[in-house]
Amino acid sequence: MEYIGEHLWAGSLGRLAVIVAFTSALVSTIAYFYFNKTQDKSWKSLARSAYYLHAASVITIVGTLFFMMANHYFEYDYVWKHTSLDLPGRFLFSAFWEGQEGSFLLWMFWHAILGLFLMHTAKNWESRTLPVLSVVQAMLSTMVMGVYIFGVKVGSSPFILIRQLEENVGAPWTEWSDYLVKFPAFMDGNGLNPLLQNYWMTIHPPTLFLGFALVMIPFTFAVAGLLSKDHKGWIKPAIPWTILCVSILGTGILMGGAWAYEALSFGGFWAWDPVENSSLVPWLTLVAAMHLMIIQRNKGSVLVAAYFFTILSFSLVLYSTFLTRSGALGDTSVHAFVDLGLNGQLIIMLLLFALGPLLIFAFRYKGIPKSKKDENMSSREFWMFVGALILLISAIQITFSTSLPIFNKWVGPEGVVPLFKDAIALQNPIDHYNSIQVPFAIVITFLMAITHFLSYKNTASSIIWKRTAASLVLALVLAIIVSISLDFFKESGNSAVYFVLLFGGIYAVLANADYWFRMMKGSVRVAGSSIAHIGFGLIIVGALISNFKKEIISSNTVFIHEEFPANENLLIELNDTVEMSSYLVNWVKERKEGNYRYYDLEFSRFNENQELVEEFTLNPSILRSDKMDMNSSEPSTKHYLNKDIYTYVSYADLEDKAPNEDGWANKWEFEIKQGAEMVLYDVCMIRLDTMVYQADMNEDETDLNKLAMGLRLTLTDMDGKEYEAIPLYLLENSVESHIDATVDELGIKIRFEGINTENSQMILNTWQSEEQEKPFIIIQAIVFPHINILWLGCIVMALGTLIAFAQKLKKH
Amino acid sequence: MKKSHIAIIIVIALSIGWLISRIGSDDFSSYKNFKTAAMNVGNEITVVGHLDLEEDIHFNPKQVMLTFTATDKDGNSSKVYYNQPKPQDFERSEEITLKGFATDTAFIAQEILMKCPSKYNEQNEMAGNSDSYSEG
Repeated sequence: MEYIGEHLWAGSLGRLAVIVAFTSALVSTIAYFYFNKTQDKSWKSLARSAYYLHAASVITIVGTLFFMMANHYFEYDYVWKHTSLDLPGRFLFSAFWEGQEGSFLLWMFWHAILGLFLMHTAKNWESRTLPVLSVVQAMLSTMVMGVYIFGVKVGSSPFILIRQLEENVGAPWTEWSDYLVKFPAFMDGNGLNPLLQNYWMTIHPPTLFLGFALVMIPFTFAVAGLLSKDHKGWIKPAIPWTILCVSILGTGILMGGAWAYEALSFGGFWAWDPVENSSLVPWLTLVAAMHLMIIQRNKGSVLVAAYFFTILSFSLVLYSTFLTRSGALGDTSVHAFVDLGLNGQLIIMLLLFALGPLLIFAFRYKGIPKSKKDENMSSREFWMFVGALILLISAIQITFSTSLPIFNKWVGPEGVVPLFKDAIALQNPIDHYNSIQVPFAIVITFLMAITHFLSYKNTASSIIWKRTAASLVLALVLAIIVSISLDFFKESGNSAVYFVLLFGGIYAVLANADYWFRMMKGSVRVAGSSIAHIGFGLIIVGALISNFKKEIISSNTVFIHEEFPANENLLIELNDTVEMSSYLVNWVKERKEGNYRYYDLEFSRFNENQELVEEFTLNPSILRSDKMDMNSSEPSTKHYLNKDIYTYVSYADLEDKAPNEDGWANKWEFEIKQGAEMVLYDVCMIRLDTMVYQADMNEDETDLNKLAMGLRLTLTDMDGKEYEAIPLYLLENSVESHIDATVDELGIKIRFEGINTENSQMILNTWQSEEQEKPFIIIQAIVFPHINILWLGCIVMALGTLIAFAQKLKKH
Repeated sequence: MKKSHIAIIIVIALSIGWLISRIGSDDFSSYKNFKTAAMNVGNEITVVGHLDLEEDIHFNPKQVMLTFTATDKDGNSSKVYYNQPKPQDFERSEEITLKGFATDTAFIAQEILMKCPSKYNEQNEMAGNSDSYSEG
């Protein structure tokens, strides 16, 4: 049967390209293998051609899917799910990698491109590294294949038609040739999640995935080194790639933080979310691997560790893929993917490429050269090695806590091996990670500061002191000044630990600047590493100050109960002004622009003489997606050089209100006992004085004929003026009725609902008159002091690592 | 044995021991139901359950107080107080994870995580719509 309006060619092309990509990657692997064995040049040219074909196929897959999305082929599931007609063109990229399949493709795309570079730069390593890359690519191709082999689903294809989806097969409408024109549901897609409709989502995922893809390159070198027993040779060509990866992956992770800060209402740039963690962990181990490779180049002796960290980093990338895509994090993360039923395949991939190389490593372990001599405690390499270990432990801890949902799945009460009676969760993830990771960060900052001043092999102790004293003393003085001026010791508890971290961070910045300018006379040779370390120090200082000293200036002073945490949100009515820290905030108006609603908030600050000092407007917004029935609250931030004022709408009524028919709203039910007094709508106090009742029995006095009960209530407004209200409760022949009391001056209606027979309290219902109710929003506002140090640090670190990469490339 | 090897072993052993010792600390809480929560009044715990839509869900914006009833996986219900703005699309949640503590009368939530129906299900709804077309 011909279906009207379908573009079947696109899906067929895409699926064909996936199959070709898979096959050609395998052919390339095998051909390289035979070339290595026979050294026959024809094998090599076959391997290369196969790889070119593979790269071309991957580009075709990406291009086809992109074309389908740009042209709104809504008969395809992926296109329907992730785009819509009103999606602005600039978000097409975001939509492309919103789903699992698209993000797998993005990852494969980078691998394919990097493979081309590797092929033409690796020289005699080409034939040993590329087969590793190709075999991984073949495996990844199966993730987007979407075929059933012996009834087992292999991969999930982005080229599947909606009518071919498992749940739709056999549905009556799939038999209609004109279903596309008949059903309005196919006219427009579901659209992009409003959270992702942000320019950061256009650049953050490709950068992050380029980083992930780059982890693969040092890994291929390590595996090639192990297999060909060229244990020392792989380090040199792998170093520039590793530095580039540290740079790009680091930038990608920090971009994610910037996205969270700019576009999400998390209330910060880093929330220790499992998905964030699982991209940070491979970066930590790769940074360690990079330092180990540098030791190996300069001194030798750490080959085993260099191998281990390089392979581990790639394993952790795969583990992170597994964590975020298996659906296991659904309970704990806001941005994990849903389970696509590919768990088995993900586990196989993890076992094959994470444990496989570790096994090869174990088998080859004996043959790897190891140094017999012990490192000198005053040598640079000893402390770099210690640093790498600290990074490893930090990575282990983060992985451990992030993996709790997996442990629950396996050894929890419903797990495969139920070892524990209760499933375990982190009570407060942010405090948990901060408290453990801060000590690691302290050690790392001091190592970063001191190690550069040490020489390889050994350093005379008198020189160490001479070299490091200046920056150490200066850093201590600066740290004391900064901590006092920022009121660091106001809070008890962790102040001391945070002070040490502040000291360490400042020391790392100063020491590296000192090393670069004073010791190395600004030498270009060490520029990259000095700048990168300065940047990392700045990140630590900026993150510490902006987080530890952040101040939530929106607070609700309504006291509810001592058990409730202090409320960090503030209600503002339209055209009303509230006080927030030193600012007066006025909600001026609500604007609608497309799917956005903007809330214009005017901030003003006055000095003691009541003169206006400054005035600015922030417009936090809410993006509404009707199709998805989802909202995303976007913060708005006033940037100063030394602080940010960050604000977002934490609650707003998005319904366009139809006026209530009877003119009463804000129903509130509560119980009250005689003599008790309560606050009503922040408008008045209500007090129950007495209850009066009248009962009529029937003629033979056995049954209640009529019962009338009334409550005498006294309402006292803010000025102390009293009003009386007597709502009535009537029961006649078992039929309940109420006569409500209204107090027009206060705009309040009261109904006597009945008596709670358990505790003899009176049940009341109250309403507020419609005119009393103004539109309102609830906002949260946070001051982040000196957050610019953090962003500066990010840029400086990215710059430093790129300079280091450029230098290695030049030397190479 | 080399000094660095000893250093590695000591550091790793210490950190593993320390990690394990932390499992019993306040950082980790266990998933409980409302019944066990009520027996541990004041202790911080996590309850997974769902929103009881038949009971009143009330949000008082003036006090920023959300009151609702939740039912845990074992079928125990409890009144819950949440001193934060009402999460968007709260009523649509399929499953809610409540972190907080129990008091004598109610559960005080400090954090709420929601699981919303995935887009996969919406797709089913769309297919359902189409079916109803075919009947009419």
